[in-house]
Amino acid sequence: MDSKKLNELLEKYWACESSLEEEQQLHEYFRTNTVPEHLKETAALFHYFDDNKKKSVGGAAFDQEVLTKVKAEAPKKGKMIRLVYNSMRIAAGLAVVVAATYFIRTEIRKTTPQVMVDTYDDPKLAFEETKKALLMISKSFGRAETETKKIDLFNKATDEVKKKETNEL
Amino acid sequence: MPHRLVIELNEMNLEAFETRVLPAKNKLYRFALRFLGNEEEAKDVVQEVLIRVWNGREQMNEIQNWEAWCMRITRNLSLDRIRSMNRKHTQPMEEAFHVLHQDLTPHEKTEQHESMQRINVLIASLPEKQRQVIHLRDVEGYSYIGICETLELDMNKVKLSLFRARNAVREKLVKINAYGL
Repeated sequence: MDSKKLNELLEKYWACESSLEEEQQLHEYFRTNTVPEHLKETAALFHYFDDNKKKSVGGAAFDQEVLTKVKAEAPKKGKMIRLVYNSMRIAAGLAVVVAATYFIRTEIRKTTPQVMVDTYDDPKLAFEETKKALLMISKSFGRAETETKKIDLFNKATDEVKKKETNEL
Repeated sequence: MPHRLVIELNEMNLEAFETRVLPAKNKLYRFALRFLGNEEEAKDVVQEVLIRVWNGREQMNEIQNWEAWCMRITRNLSLDRIRSMNRKHTQPMEEAFHVLHQDLTPHEKTEQHESMQRINVLIASLPEKQRQVIHLRDVEGYSYIGICETLELDMNKVKLSLFRARNAVREKLVKINAYGL
């Protein structure tokens, strides 16, 4: 490559108008030629790019490391199988909780039987209280009776009126 | 037998993983290294990316450009690491560059090494996007379309970033040539 062509390519490179092939030619040129003083830094730049391209993460040892890790991952099952499997797991969990609650409840009920608790200790007082309650009920009944008597009176009155009306006709 | 089928599919995938994904490891490593500047961390990132690809292998057939996909994961993981380390800049590494011309005098070798070290610092100091674009183009030899797909940028942005990156480098090189700075 003559210097004219080289300068042309470099100008295109700096203007970002060069193609990949042209850029490859520049890499090749700087790789194989000793360059004039004023292009030393540019050559260093291309050497830098080439040098970076050679960097490698590691050979077979790295591959093996990755593959071991990858193989250690549990093989994934099909989507449907996984879905069913997961819902079964949830269902099983729920069943355990429900059964446990049921058994604990019956157990608690067995150990603490329901006892009728007396309100009063003194029988006389209890008798008085019962009487009071019964009286209250009977009072309410009595009031209800008088009220119904009133309605009865009203019914009788309407009957009388009706009778009179039929007689007149 | 469904059980056998599952095993066979897994083996097929492992083979595909070895032949299709694993060979991209060095590209991913170099890209991670460009962000992190630390070989060990870059290696960790590549391992993490590869394991993620393996775990997401069910979607791999749906992905059109899986290399670009891997590169994006590499970039994201690297950036996460930088953030979590609370580093403002990528540390430009002290590298041992290969001496390209065997017939150089010791003085010339030192000189070349120094130049490369300067360029390394220079590129590390570029804005992040420019650094990514110049790496993909000038180190990896990506086409513009490839860069667009990898970085999810439009063509104009890629070209502008590359133009700015190359010009920043050029300006600095001119200064070095003129004043030896």
